[in-house]
Amino acid sequence: MIMGFDIAALLGLFGLTSAFALVALVLAGWMCWRIAEKAGVPGWAGAAAILLTLTGIGSLISLILLWVFAFMRWPRDTLALAGGPAMRAGPAATPPPAPGALPPPPKALADRRGWTLTGAGVTLAFDDSRAAYTLTGEAGGPDALVVPDPSVGRPHARLLTASGRIGLQDLGSPGGTFIDGARLLPAHGPRDITAVRTIKVGNVELALART
Amino acid sequence: MMTVIGWLIGLGMFALMAILVVHVLFALLLIVPSWRIFERAGFSGLLALFHLVPVVGPFIVMAILAFSDWPNGEGRPQPAPQ
Repeated sequence: MIMGFDIAALLGLFGLTSAFALVALVLAGWMCWRIAEKAGVPGWAGAAAILLTLTGIGSLISLILLWVFAFMRWPRDTLALAGGPAMRAGPAATPPPAPGALPPPPKALADRRGWTLTGAGVTLAFDDSRAAYTLTGEAGGPDALVVPDPSVGRPHARLLTASGRIGLQDLGSPGGTFIDGARLLPAHGPRDITAVRTIKVGNVELALART
Repeated sequence: MMTVIGWLIGLGMFALMAILVVHVLFALLLIVPSWRIFERAGFSGLLALFHLVPVVGPFIVMAILAFSDWPNGEGRPQPAPQ
């Protein structure tokens, strides 16, 4: 009789624990769905990462996926400033896709401070008073940001500003352009670098910061 | 008797310290990527330290990221090519 009560109490405890676990799992899945969508990743991928914890080694996989998510390139960072005409400036701008295929423009940012690019002994300050700047290895026009290094093209890349965001577009210089270590090709068009830490033009690494 | 109690207290303290160390080490595995995610979203990376709160810490972190506007902007899933 006493044992029966014990078993019933234990089952009740496990039932309660399971209920809490289920609620926590659903809540976590929902929140990860939203977080993934904010990063531009399909929401189901975030929820699936949490649901993997139901499997035997799922917690380890979820942890690995968290690290991957933190350091991967987010689709949000891929430039899609369809609403910002400045981002489409320049001869290398890609033609607009068919109507209906355009993603909605990213949200404009309220933070309107300027930016600095620092590295190799130079500090380049700029803001969104101009729609476009040119990163170049030699002095040029008023929109030129000069990085005096032989590996930097003349011009090398274009910096675009719109709605408090900045974009970077490679102009095909042999030295190459890199965003947080990933190669940016002219075919990629402009990419949003508002949230990145470093860019590299030729052999020169430049740290991006707000002023 | 006092010796036994002393041993029990010592063992308890050791167990507590072990649990604390394991908790901090596991939290670190979550704090590092969360710090990066917070910074990319435009928040202070210090918010990732909520992972140090036992049990509900990860939920606090997820709730902040899921239900607040990201200062660095938010993306949306890209529509399928047509």
